[in-house]
Order: sequence, then C-alpha cells, then structure tokens
Amino acid sequence: MKIIIVGAGEVGYHFAEWLAQEQKEVVVIDIDPGALQRVSNHLDVQIMTGSGANPRVLEESGLKSADIILAVTDKDEVNLIACFFANVIAPHIQKVALIRNPDYVFYREALTRDILNIGLVINPEMEVVNSILRIMSAPEVEEVNEFVGGRIKMLGKHLPEDSPLNGLKLMQLPDKIERNRMIIAALVRDEALIIPKGRDTLRGGDFVYFVCQSRDIEEILRLFGKRINLLKNILVVGGGNIGFPLAKELEARRFNVKLIEKDPQRCQMISAKLKRTLVLQGLATDQKFLEEENIGHMDMVVAVTWDEEMNILSCLLAKQLGAKKTIARVNKVPYIPLVKAIGIDHIVSPRLSAINTLFPYMRRGKVISSVSIRGKAAEVLEAEALAKSAIVGKPLKELQFPKEALFLCIFRGDEVIIPAGDTVIEPGDRVLILSTGAVIPLVERALIGKR
Amino acid sequence: MIRWSFMFHILGSLVVCIGLCMLFPLGFSFYYGDGSAGPLLISAAITVSLGLFLYLFFRGSKVKGAISHREGMAITTMGWLAACIFGGLPFYFSGVLPHVVDCIFETTSGFTTTGASVIQNVEIVAPGILFWRSLTHWLGGLGIVVLGLAILPFLGVGGMQLYKAEVPGPVVDKLKPRLKDTAMILWKVYVAFTVVETILLLLGGMNLLDALCHTFGTLATGGFSTKNASIGYYNSVYIDVVVTIFMLLGGINFALHFQAFRGKPLALWRDAECRFFLGFWLLLTLVVTFNCFGKTYDSLGKSLQYAAFTVASITTTTGFATGNFELWPPLSLCLLLLCMFVGASVGSTGGAVKCMRIMVVLKHGYREIIRLIHPRAVLRLKLGDQVVLPEIFASIAGFIFLYLGLAAVSMFLVAATGVDLVTTITSVMACIGNVGPGLGEVGPMDNYAGMPVFAKWILSLDMLLGRLEIYTVIILLLPRFYKK
Repeated sequence: MKIIIVGAGEVGYHFAEWLAQEQKEVVVIDIDPGALQRVSNHLDVQIMTGSGANPRVLEESGLKSADIILAVTDKDEVNLIACFFANVIAPHIQKVALIRNPDYVFYREALTRDILNIGLVINPEMEVVNSILRIMSAPEVEEVNEFVGGRIKMLGKHLPEDSPLNGLKLMQLPDKIERNRMIIAALVRDEALIIPKGRDTLRGGDFVYFVCQSRDIEEILRLFGKRINLLKNILVVGGGNIGFPLAKELEARRFNVKLIEKDPQRCQMISAKLKRTLVLQGLATDQKFLEEENIGHMDMVVAVTWDEEMNILSCLLAKQLGAKKTIARVNKVPYIPLVKAIGIDHIVSPRLSAINTLFPYMRRGKVISSVSIRGKAAEVLEAEALAKSAIVGKPLKELQFPKEALFLCIFRGDEVIIPAGDTVIEPGDRVLILSTGAVIPLVERALIGKR
Repeated sequence: MIRWSFMFHILGSLVVCIGLCMLFPLGFSFYYGDGSAGPLLISAAITVSLGLFLYLFFRGSKVKGAISHREGMAITTMGWLAACIFGGLPFYFSGVLPHVVDCIFETTSGFTTTGASVIQNVEIVAPGILFWRSLTHWLGGLGIVVLGLAILPFLGVGGMQLYKAEVPGPVVDKLKPRLKDTAMILWKVYVAFTVVETILLLLGGMNLLDALCHTFGTLATGGFSTKNASIGYYNSVYIDVVVTIFMLLGGINFALHFQAFRGKPLALWRDAECRFFLGFWLLLTLVVTFNCFGKTYDSLGKSLQYAAFTVASITTTTGFATGNFELWPPLSLCLLLLCMFVGASVGSTGGAVKCMRIMVVLKHGYREIIRLIHPRAVLRLKLGDQVVLPEIFASIAGFIFLYLGLAAVSMFLVAATGVDLVTTITSVMACIGNVGPGLGEVGPMDNYAGMPVFAKWILSLDMLLGRLEIYTVIILLLPRFYKK
C-alpha cells in the first residue's frame, strides 16, 4: 500500500511514523527541507521537497500509483488544493484532509462530495474537544470510548477494593446486573492484558474494560463503589483553538466555566464570543492568582495551552490546591506515561486524536471505528458485517476465528445481542470485536471475507 | 460644511408633503359637514405654496453627493420643526386653539407622538380637525421609525450605531441597507398594523373616525383621543385588550416586526431588548395589579385589566387612559414614573430613554460589581451577542446624563412659572419622554391647557428634544456646528 503525506509537521510526522511501522510505503512532501530532514533522519520513508498544492510535485511523487493521500499541512487551503489536484490527477485515490477552520468543517458536505470528494476530514482540535467532553460524561472513569454513534460506550476503570464486584467470578455477574447490560471485555492485571473467561475472578486493583449502553452507565458505576459528585465547576487553562471551543461547549451544557488565558487581546476576543464563561487574564502557574480565584474548589481542571510543560505544571498546582480531577494536553508521546505517574488523571493529545480518527479509516473491511487498548496490546473494532464476509451466515462456534479475538456484542437495528456459540451474524449487523494486537490481520481478513 | 440651500430644497419638498396630507381629513369634513373644510384648505394652500417656493427657489443648488452627518442632523431637526409649525395652521384657522403657543404645543405633541393636549373639550371639536390631529401622530410615528432605523444609526447618535449592527444580527436577514428601501419596508409594516387594528376597533363598536384616530394614537404610541375620557369612554374589555396589544407592538422595534412578517416570528423573542421590554411590562403589570387590588379596585380581574393597560400605555409612551390612575397607591405611581423614564424599544414609535440604553447601563453596573469579585476577569459589555464598545457605552451614558440634565433644567424653568412640584416633575418627564399625561394638574383626567404660556414653550421644546434623541437638536445650538 502506497501512501502520500503532504506536510511534515507535527501531525504529518506522526502519521508517517505510524504508517512506516505498519510496513506501508510512505512518501512525505513538504516545502520546508528542514522538516523533511527530520523525517528522513528518523523514519524509513521517502521524502520530496515542494509544495503539496503544486500538481506537478504531486504527480512526480507517484500519486497515480498511490492508494491514499493524507493532506495534513498546517494550512487548510493547501490541504484542500492538494486534495483537489489529487482528485484530478488520480480520481480513484482516497483522500484524507486536515481541516481546522470550523467554517470549512461546517460545509463538510461540500468537502466530502462533488469536486473534492474527500474521504475523511480530520480536525484534531475538535477531536480533542470531543474526547474531553467524553471524559467529562463519566469523570471518575479513566478511559471512555464511544461506538455506534455514541449509543454504546466502552469504559476503562480501576476496580476499587471496596467494590461489590471484588472477588466475583465473571459467570456470577448476572446476579448483580442483567447479562446484556454490562459486558466485560478485558482486564489489565499487573500490566498484563487478560481476555477473561467465565471462571476468571474480578479483583480489586484490576483495570476493567467493559462495554455498555450509554443509558446504563450510572447504574454500572454504582457497582464499582462510591461515586464522586457530578461535575459543576470547571477551569479551562488556555483560550486557544482547543480551550475556546471547549469553553463554548461546556457553557452550553450548563457547567460553571472559568477560563484562564495569558494574552490580553485573545481574552478580549473570546470574552466577546462566550456567553457565561468567566474569562480571566493571567498565568495559570501563578499560585496567588489561582488561590484568589478559588481554583481549589474546581471539580475539574483542563489545561490545553500550546505549552505542555505549562499544562502539566498548572494541573499539578491546581491539584495541590485541592482541584478534584485534571486533564492535561500533552503532545510528546514519551511524556504520557510519566504524566500519569505524577497524578494527572487524563491526557489528551491532538496528535493521538488525529491518529485515532485515521485509524479505522486505514483498516480494511468495513471498519467504522476502532480503539486501541494499552498501546498496541489490543484493539476494539466496530465493523459492519458484509455479505461476503467470513463471519456471516454461520454460528459463531463454527467460525474459523482467532481465539485471541472475541465478539463483544452485535447490533441489529436497535437491538443489542450478546453473542453465544450458536448466534449467527447477519449481513448489515454491526459487530464489536476485541482483538489482541497480534491477530488483527487475521480479524481484518475475516471481515473482508476471503473464505 | 452644510449646504444650506440644498437643505432648504429638501425641506421644501417635505413641507409640500405635509401640506398635501392636510387634504386627507377633508373626507370627514364633508361627511360630517362640520365646517372644518375651509380652515384645512387654507392651511394646505399656505403650506403647499410656501413649500413649493422653498423647493423651487433653492432648486439651483448642487444636489450631488451624499448627505453628511451634520446635514443629516440639520435636516432632521428642521424637518420636525417645520412640521410642528405648519401642522398647527388648521388649529389656528379653525379657531379651536386661538393662541399660537397652543397651536404649536398641540402640533408638536402630535408629530412627536407625545399626546399631551391643550384642548379642553375634544368632543366638541370638528371631526375633520380631530382627524388631522390624530394624523399628525401617525405621520410622526412613521417618521420616527424611519429616523430611528435608518438615519440615527448612520449618525451614531446616543449609541444607536450599536443597534444598526444589532438588528440584522446573525439570525435575521438584513434590513435593506438603503434608506429608501428601509422606509418602504417599514411603511408596509406600519400600514398593515394600521389596517388590522382599525378593523378590530370597528368590530369593537367604534365608528370609522374614532377607530382610525385611536389606531393612529396607538401605533404611533401617541395618545390623542377623540374622547375626553380617552379609551375609558368605551369601558370595554375587548377594546382595552386590542389597544394594549397594539400599544406593545408599537413599542417594539419595527425591524423585528419586519422579520416576523417575513415568517420569522422568533426574531421577536431572540432579540434581547424586546425580551427586556416585554418582561419589564409583565413584571410591572403584576406588581401594580396586586398593589391596586383591594385598594383602588375590588376585583383582581379589573385590577389586572387596568394595570396591564396603563403600564403598557405609559411604558410605550402612548398615554391613553382607561381610568384615573392618579387614584392608585403611591408604589404604583412611582412605578409609572419609572415607566416614563424607561420607555420603549429603539426603532419603535415609543420614546423616553429606551430599553436598550437602560440595559446597557444596568449591565455595565453589574459588570463593575463582578470586576470587584474577580479583579483579573476580562468582561466585555454585551447586548445579546453584540459587544458594546467603550465608545458606544460612553455615548449611551452621555445620552442618559444629558437626558436627566435637560429634564432637571426644564423642571427648574417650569417650576419658576409657579406650577406645583408634582405637576412640574411629571409634566417634564411626560413631555421629554413623549408620554403625554403626567400626574397632578396634567393627570390623565386633566390636560395641559392650564399650564402657563412659558411652561408650554419649554414643554414643546422638551417634546422635540426627547423625540429627536437630544443630541440631534442640541448640536444645532453649538456655534461650532456652523463653522466650516
């Protein structure tokens, strides 16, 4: 598979890194030789100097024989033009564009159809805002992912020692809650991923991944033990292209929002556009200022400035003052485990968000969305069962399906089905599959349907 | 610089129009055979010929180029002044008002949609003259809406430029940018309301003359009636309700009405000022209802009926009365004084300070309090989604200061003529706010006939100043205005 990446910036570099690891053939185009140098020094990819908006450069990069073009420069217009010429030069090619300006995203239809025919529009900042909102929908849960348009959630949470579930065998779970309302997908115990069977026991300290319908969350979380109060007061640090739209969403959801931004002019601009948010001008690392504004009473602090060190520091400071939960925006991937270790509750990263959006698109078969668990240890895929797919038309126990992969649930219309050995998947069903990283290619093959 | 000959040329055409309008009442004159045809025709002849003279004499002037800010203010004030003078001729020639000052007062009251009258007994006045008197309301109301929506925002008087940007907003599509188109649109809305209310009043049992006169008084938020007891004469719940509704409509920004007519009735609700205006009316109505219940009125329904009507009448600056509200308890009277000060919406036919400015000043005060709690907060003054820039706020604060200052000076001058305190205060507030009736000697059951001559001149000037947003008139008194 050949992939052309236009733009060797933050996102482009990361895509290139990931795709190169997956043994794809990658060409990176950028106008800045310095950025390209960095790419070629670290990654096994082909580079090419020139503007991605230039059709001649695109053609020379071998666009005609490529499968996908990722237009991910910092400029929306360059990305759009690159997609436009890609469409002219190689009409069959799949196009993915990074579009940040919300006004363009508003015309998503025009981008994805007609002249441009872009397959996927990625807006990393909006993805981050959405993931923050997802975290807030269940603040005490460590990981939240959504499937089937938000109706199904997969949550990841530590099981406290005092939970009624502690010491329970999985087969006994229906005593506590109906079978099809909470499906345990995986456990992480002592840093090892376990795909549990009925005889396995839940223990305090386990990190539990489970799937449920959005409306059942409240009840399930009660099984985990004491609930913390619902979120009310939220501090957003940084009024940039994440903080500002985030504050807008939060105030629309009736949270009490305070926003700290250091640039006085930016303050004026966002204060004019926000309705109920209190915009404060200052540095979120100024302890006096934080005390003055009573930051210790915040239920959640979200630090999303450009400066990740600043985000980490302000989260720690707020936590020390008494803030309950913190979310920090961190760009450098190596930082992520460190940051969790020092007590920041959640990490968001535009880069990872962009990749998570691209992830299912790059998977073959009709994969609608996918989420990785514990780095690359496992993956949960949401896919549509095609008529020619190998998983269709036979009872599950007769399928030749890897043992390390598991059907979590099946959606047929509005119905949620918990698969058993004699369940038969019909074409058009949506399936949620948990698979360890090693057998992903096998699962993919089964989905496409080489019988 | 101001092109005076050009100004007079325009003024001439305006005067001709006023003269021609004097022919409309002739229908009623002939129908009733009341002898008002002669005076009306003489007045029309004088007005039209003087207007034509101005128009033709200054025709040679260059009429190229747009009207400048200064010219805009000059022509606005001159036009209203000319209307107030020429419009008084029918009263003079018919002998209804023998003194010049009374004629000027009555006409000014008409064209500024104030509704303060010096006619002792309107029921004996010839129908043709009465119709002309109410017609001045209607013409003045239309004039003021066009002025408020098209000219004042352009001139940037008293924070009105804010509203220029406010009205089109993100939800509603734009009022046509050109003055002529704006005027045509508003004219249609205004006429449509007039037709509907007239029909509703006819159904309520009024004859055509009364229905038209009261409609003119309602929509222009004027307040001239053809009965001494005003709307109270009819003693009908139906008429009270119809008039209350149309007074409120007249007190709402006509640009919003236009949006509603275009199939976006939600525009009314989305507008912050309109919500404030209706909320203010509702709140005061409830307070007055319960304040008067058991004291002035013995049933809750009656109390509500009178309270809703009177609060609407005063806060829209109409000035119709259904009863003698002077008998109300002190709290209710104080609230009516507040209504006289607050007034209606910008871009409506109503007068006084107007809700938009009150809102901006209140929000500013609130903002200052928040600033004390959060010293580092960045707070922008906003009206709806629109940011109020500091210079616009300064213009609004300046307007309110000028308004109060002017009211104070007028009160001193009126008091100097020996009028009692309550009458002085309320007559000035009622005239500068274009309301009409006040309390005391100028209460709803009395009129301004008994006021001293000097006081009448002062009050006439107040009506004009209040109507033209003060700045527009007062600027003409500065010598600097005339320098090149």
